[in-house]
Amino acid sequence: MTTIAAIRYSHTVGSLSNQGRGFQNPVDVALDSQDVMYVLNRAGPELAIRLPYKRVSMCTVDEEFLGEFGTGGTDVGEFWWPSSLAFDSHDRLYVTDEALNRITVFSTTGEVLAMWGEAGSALGQIDHPSYIACDADDNLLIADSGNHRIQKFTTDGGFIESWGAYGNGEGSFNTPWGIALDGEGNVYVSDWGNDRIQKLTPRGESLEQFPRPGTKQPGADRIKNPAGLCVDSEGLIYVADWGNERVRVLSPGGNLLATLRGESRTPSWANEYFEANPEEGALRLEADLSPVLESPSGSDSVSDREESANVEKLLWGPTAVKLDGHGNILIVDSCRHRIQVYRRDH
Amino acid sequence: MTQTSPVQHEQGELSLMAHLMRRAGFGATYEELEDCLAQGYENTVERLLHPEDAPPWDDSLFRRYHVDQNSLMLIESAQSYWLYRMVNSRSPLEEKIALFWHGLFATAYGKLNHAKAVVNQTDTFRRHGLGTFRNLLSELSRDPAMIFWLDNKDNHKDAPNENYGRELLELFSMGIGTYTEADVKAAARAFTGWTIANQDYMSVRASRDSIWPHGRLDWQFVYRPEDHDDSPKTFLNQTGCFNGEDVLDIICGHPASSWFLAGKLHSFFVSDQPDESATQIIAEDLRRTGGDVRSAMRTIFLSDFFRSERARYAKVKSPAEVVAGVARMAGAFGVPHWSIVNMALDANFMGQEILNPPTVEGWHTGTEWVDTGTLMERVNSAALLVGDPAQPGVQNIIRRLREAQPAYAAGELVDACLTQAGGLEVSEATHRELTAFVASQGELSFEPQFSDGCAEQRVAELLQLIVSTREYQMS
Repeated sequence: MTTIAAIRYSHTVGSLSNQGRGFQNPVDVALDSQDVMYVLNRAGPELAIRLPYKRVSMCTVDEEFLGEFGTGGTDVGEFWWPSSLAFDSHDRLYVTDEALNRITVFSTTGEVLAMWGEAGSALGQIDHPSYIACDADDNLLIADSGNHRIQKFTTDGGFIESWGAYGNGEGSFNTPWGIALDGEGNVYVSDWGNDRIQKLTPRGESLEQFPRPGTKQPGADRIKNPAGLCVDSEGLIYVADWGNERVRVLSPGGNLLATLRGESRTPSWANEYFEANPEEGALRLEADLSPVLESPSGSDSVSDREESANVEKLLWGPTAVKLDGHGNILIVDSCRHRIQVYRRDH
Repeated sequence: MTQTSPVQHEQGELSLMAHLMRRAGFGATYEELEDCLAQGYENTVERLLHPEDAPPWDDSLFRRYHVDQNSLMLIESAQSYWLYRMVNSRSPLEEKIALFWHGLFATAYGKLNHAKAVVNQTDTFRRHGLGTFRNLLSELSRDPAMIFWLDNKDNHKDAPNENYGRELLELFSMGIGTYTEADVKAAARAFTGWTIANQDYMSVRASRDSIWPHGRLDWQFVYRPEDHDDSPKTFLNQTGCFNGEDVLDIICGHPASSWFLAGKLHSFFVSDQPDESATQIIAEDLRRTGGDVRSAMRTIFLSDFFRSERARYAKVKSPAEVVAGVARMAGAFGVPHWSIVNMALDANFMGQEILNPPTVEGWHTGTEWVDTGTLMERVNSAALLVGDPAQPGVQNIIRRLREAQPAYAAGELVDACLTQAGGLEVSEATHRELTAFVASQGELSFEPQFSDGCAEQRVAELLQLIVSTREYQMS
C-alpha cells in the first residue's frame, strides 16, 4: 500500500448530543455555496422520545455551530430514515429518506420547498434511496438501493433514466450505497453488496470497476461494503470503506494510495463539557483511550468493529466522505457522532 | 391433546420435532420442521449442538440500515438487535443458550448504562455457552459487564468487596446451603485485582450516564497483581494461596455445582416443574464430562424425560420466546424494518426487558410470566404480526394451504393451520372453539369465484386465534 504523505489528520467537528449543538449517528454531510456544513443525523431507534434526535445540523468546518432544523416523523419536512443530502447549484438541499421513500427539498434555512418520491420498483419509483448526488446539469442521481439500480431525476422529481439491475456483473449492482461524480460527469457508485466501486459514463455505461477483476490485493487492502464516496479535481477517489471501518483513497485508476483508520482528538465542543465537569475531564486525561486489545477467548483476532468500539480515536461506521473547496476531507464517523477532518496539502 | 395433522402417520415425529425446536430455539415453521424431519431427530439435535458448523452470521445489512444497532449505544437498539438475531439465526440453540445464561448470570443495563457491554457479554455466552461450565465461569469472571455489575472493580486487596464472590456461589454455581460465609469471603479475596481498565474514568461515566464526547467506550478486563490478595485462604475446605481460577476449579470439582447447573438446565429446557430423577441424570452427565454443557444438552434432548408427552407444553414461554417465535412464524424482520423496535417494547411490556433483568436473580419464570395485563400484551403482540397477510411467513402459509387443496371444511382448515403454525397441538376444547369460529363463516375456498378474495384474510384471522390460544403461550 502506498501512503500519501500529504494527507494528515486536522481536527474533529462534533460530539454526541440528542438535540442542539452536536450530532447523533450522522450519516452524511453536504456543503452549501457558503461552505456551511449540513450534517444529517439519522439517529434511532424510531421511538417517540427519540425522534427529535433526527435532524439536520448546520456548522462550519471551524466548529462554529449555526443551528439545526427538522425532526423525526412522517409529516412534511420530517425524517424517518434520512440517508443522504446534496445541494444543487441554487443552494437547494435534497434529503433522501430510506423509510419514507421520498426526497424532501429544503432551503438553506430549513424551509421545506418541495417533496417527491413514490415507493415501488417501476421506473421512477424508489425503494430505500440511500444516496443522492447532483450533476453539473442539476439533475439528481439516486442510489436506489432496494431496487439495486441508479436512477436519474430532475430536481422536481421527474424521471429521466435508470441504470442497472441486481447482479454482480459490469453495470449491475447489489444494494448500492454511495454515489459521486467527477469533473467530467462520470459517475462512481459504491456497489455495497459487491464490495467494489463502479465507474460509469455520464450516460450510465460501465467504464471500470475497482478493484479491477483479477487484481490480487492483500486482504487488509480489500474494500468491503463501501458506503459514501467522492472524487477530487485530480480524479482521486475517497471512499468510506464501511465494512473495514476505514477510509480509502484510490488513484484515478483504482490503485490504493492511502488508508485512513481515524485519529480523532477531543473537539472543542467537548472541551467545553469537560470544563463544566472537571472531575470527569481530569479522569479522561489520565485514561488510556487507545488500549491494546487482546483477542477474545475463542477468537483469532479482534475485529475492526470491536477495535473501533474500544479505541475512541478510530473511525467506527464511516458512512460518507466529502470535500470542501479548501483542501478539507470530511469523514462522517457515524457511530462516534462526529466528523473527522483530514487535509490534503497540495 | 388431539391429533391434528392431516398426515397422521407423521404426527408423532412432527410433534416431537416441533417440541425440540421450541425448546432448543424459538419455534420453527412447518417448512423448517420438514427439513428437520428429513434429517431425523438425532441428526437435528447434533446440528443444533454445533452452531459453529452453520454459515457465518452476517448482520451487515441490518447494521447498515439500523445505524443505531451498529453502535448499540441505546438499550432499545441493543434489545432489538438481539431479538433480530433470535428471529433470524440459523443456529437457534446458540441464541437460546445465550438467553439461558443471560437469565442465570443476570446482568442489567440499568446499573451499567452501557448497552453494548451487556451485548458483549451475550457474545461470550454464544462463544462459550456450549463449552464447559468451568471455562464459562472463567470468562464470566473476566467479563467487564459482570465486573461492573457486581462491583468487582471495587474488590481490592486491602478492602475486599464480597458482592461477586457471594453471587458466584449463591446464584451462579452452587446454590445457598452448600457453602459458608467464610467461603464467600475467601472467594472474594481470590478475585481481588480482577477489574477493568480505566476504572475510575469508566465508573464516573457510568454513574453520570455520560455519553460525552463520542458515545460509549467498550470496557476491557485487566488483572492488577499488585491489588490481588495472594495470602493463604481456606475455601470449601481447601487451603492455599488461591487466585480466582483456583476458586473456580474448586467450585467445579464440588458436586454441588453439577447439581446446581443440572437443575437450572432442567428448569429452562425441560419443565417448569422440578424433577429430581431427571436432574440427577443431567448432573451425572456434567460430572462425568467435566461440566461439558454440550454433552448435557445432548443428554437432555435425547432423554425420555424430554421427549415424553409430559414435557410437551410444560413450560410457559418467556416473552422473548413469544415475540421471537411469532416473528419467525410470520417471516418478519428478515430484512431491515424500523418497526423491529416494537418487538423489544412488546417483550418489555410482557415483563421481560432483555439485557435489563430486574435483579441479579434474573426473571421469575413459569406461571409468573402471565397475569391479566401481560397476557393481553402477549395476545395483542402475536395477533398483530400473524394477522397481516402481507408478512412473508403468513403468505407462505396461505400459499401452501392453497396448493394443498382448493377448499377446506372448518375442521380441516384448523388442522392444517395448526400444522403450518409449527406443528402446534391443542386440546379438544380449543380445537372445538377454533373450528366453530371458522364454521361461522362457512367453508373456506381459495377459488376466486367463491372466496371474494377474503380467503387470505380468513386464514390470517385464524392464525390470530391460534397464537391467542393457551397452547401457543406454552412451550
